[in-house]
Amino acid sequence: MALIETNNLWKTYDMGKVQVHALRGISIKIDKGDYIAVMGPSGSGKSTLMNLIGCLDTPTQGEYHLNGKRVSQMHDDELAEIRNREIGFVFQTFNLMPRSTALHNVELPLIYGGRNREERLQMARHALEVVNLGERVMHKPSELSGGQRQRVAIARAMVNKPSLLLADEPTGNIDTKTGDEIMGLFAELHNNGNTIILVTHEMDIARNADRILFIRDGQIEKEEIVRRAS
Amino acid sequence: MIYWDIFRMALNALWANRLRSGLTLLGVIIGVTSVITIISAIEGFMGSVQAEINKLGPTTFLVVRVGGIITSEDAFFEMIKRKPFEVEYAEAIEDACEDCEKIAMQAYGFSREVKYRDKKLSNVYIRGAGASMIDIVDYEVEHGRFYSYEEDYGGRRVAFVGTTIQKQLFPNIDPIGKTIKINNLKYDIIGIAKEQGATFGHDADKIIFIPFNTFAKDFGTPRRNLTIFVKARSIDVLDKAMDQTRVVLRAYRHVPYDKEDDFSLLTADSIMEQFNNITRFMRFGLIGITSISLIVGGIIIMNIMMVSVTERTREIGIRKSIGARQKDILFQFLFESFILSVGGGLIGISLGVLLGDLLINLINMDMTPSLLAILLGIGISSGIGIFFGIYPAMKAARLQPVKALSYE
Ligand SMILES: Nc1ncnc2c1ncn2[C@@H]1O[C@H](COP(=O)(O)OP(=O)(O)OP(=O)(O)O)[C@@H](O)[C@H]1O
Ligand SMILES: [Mg+2]
Repeated sequence: MALIETNNLWKTYDMGKVQVHALRGISIKIDKGDYIAVMGPSGSGKSTLMNLIGCLDTPTQGEYHLNGKRVSQMHDDELAEIRNREIGFVFQTFNLMPRSTALHNVELPLIYGGRNREERLQMARHALEVVNLGERVMHKPSELSGGQRQRVAIARAMVNKPSLLLADEPTGNIDTKTGDEIMGLFAELHNNGNTIILVTHEMDIARNADRILFIRDGQIEKEEIVRRAS
Repeated sequence: MIYWDIFRMALNALWANRLRSGLTLLGVIIGVTSVITIISAIEGFMGSVQAEINKLGPTTFLVVRVGGIITSEDAFFEMIKRKPFEVEYAEAIEDACEDCEKIAMQAYGFSREVKYRDKKLSNVYIRGAGASMIDIVDYEVEHGRFYSYEEDYGGRRVAFVGTTIQKQLFPNIDPIGKTIKINNLKYDIIGIAKEQGATFGHDADKIIFIPFNTFAKDFGTPRRNLTIFVKARSIDVLDKAMDQTRVVLRAYRHVPYDKEDDFSLLTADSIMEQFNNITRFMRFGLIGITSISLIVGGIIIMNIMMVSVTERTREIGIRKSIGARQKDILFQFLFESFILSVGGGLIGISLGVLLGDLLINLINMDMTPSLLAILLGIGISSGIGIFFGIYPAMKAARLQPVKALSYE
């Protein structure tokens, strides 16, 4: 069974006089353990697709199954629980809580997951150690570099051991060298069996993935296989 | 417990915006303080009135020409046209009322200047009362004695004085046996009353009792201002005593059987009730007016929470993106407004109780920190926090994650 299966997904924004079709019938299948890159010109619908897959938004039309569950018709709170347990999101702009420490940022999904304090702190510390920030747990985002911030975000995304890691241009706001570090981290996560979907504008980065999906005008344009999944 | 964690996040958010939270708190504090102060003051005032009226005791009732509850304009005009009282009524009641223990006539007095040698004390309240008055009202003899029936009957010029007279006119001497002058008439002091204490600006010890008949002789019979004090034998026969008194008076005043009484009987309870009725409008009016400041406090909270939700749209988006449910967000913001309002409420209550105390000491009232006011304060302020906080919190809870995340 595929981890992700979408069938003819449409997302239409009603702007009053005009309707913007951000997605026009996307059908994809992603298996557990896959590492997918999504590429395409600006405005082609990459982020929209990621938001749907990440259960941050619901499609206007079409079906979406995640882990065999039909999420396209779910309610807000059910989606929130899926986001909490099944999905880790990494954003271009980090989206960390600016006034909280790295540790609290990473702990936050576990709070909403209802875990107890001891367990939370232990898991959050461990996740920060995995991204090599064991020494920076009490730092606030403003006291960290861009690459370190993104690593905090990755630790937060992974702390709950989700089935799926989504990253929308995770290296978009950091320099190439730090970007490479982040990509190394992703490769490690992938090797450990995690499923990753990554949006990027750079071919070099996309080549880290097993498959590249090209999107244009809200549709899958083509698919390129970089290497056979092992 | 997740709600405890959310509560802590709410506290942290408030702490992060200390100045703003403090100012909001101030808005609530002002509102709650003024309401509590007013309620405490009113309660204290009502309490001292009650205490004053309770001096009558539960078995005593008054017979008055004009008094009781005025229900209509006609009733009012009927009342002021009532015939004056006669001095004989007291004796008549004494004869005919089996369940009445003591009866005393009283002439409502006036304020006069009192002299002892070259010392003067003005505005002393002079009451002309029958000899059994001491057994009826809550005055006790501190020193000396009250006047006797014989002294009353004979119209002797004797005086039973309050402690203020003693303190002002006889600083270091025993006043008993000394002679004071009222209206240039000489009265011998025979007793001193136990101190009553001042109640709301009125010094209950600045008083002189003289026998009723002496009063009538020296100042004329005040037929329009006679009050008969009656003490029933016990609380159980109070109603009977009142009925018997009513029968006597109706006969004496020739009230036809199909007409209402042209006099009124008042007990401590009925006087209190009457007082309550008269002041109800004023009391609720005052509380109503001050409550406006509470509503203002609530609106401040709501306003601040609206600003806060807008400002923290991205934060809300982040929380939702990592799995916060609607109620998690709702509770966080509700906790914030709740902490502000209840915190403000608690501080406001403390200040209000202090201020109420101060106010009441200024006008010499007893003040018990009112449990009612405190409970009301806590109830109202938490109610305000929820009422004015729910809309902003719901707004926050219902934000769409994608929209909230892309909010600039
Ligand atoms: N909330 C919205 N309301 C209206 N139109 C929207 C909204 N969000 C996205 N769109 C439109 O949908 C289309 C796809 O947007 P999307 O953000 O998915 O593009 P993208 O591929 O991620 O672009 P980029 O590479 O610049 O990030 C765009 O034309 C955009 O204008
Ligand atoms: Mg995008």
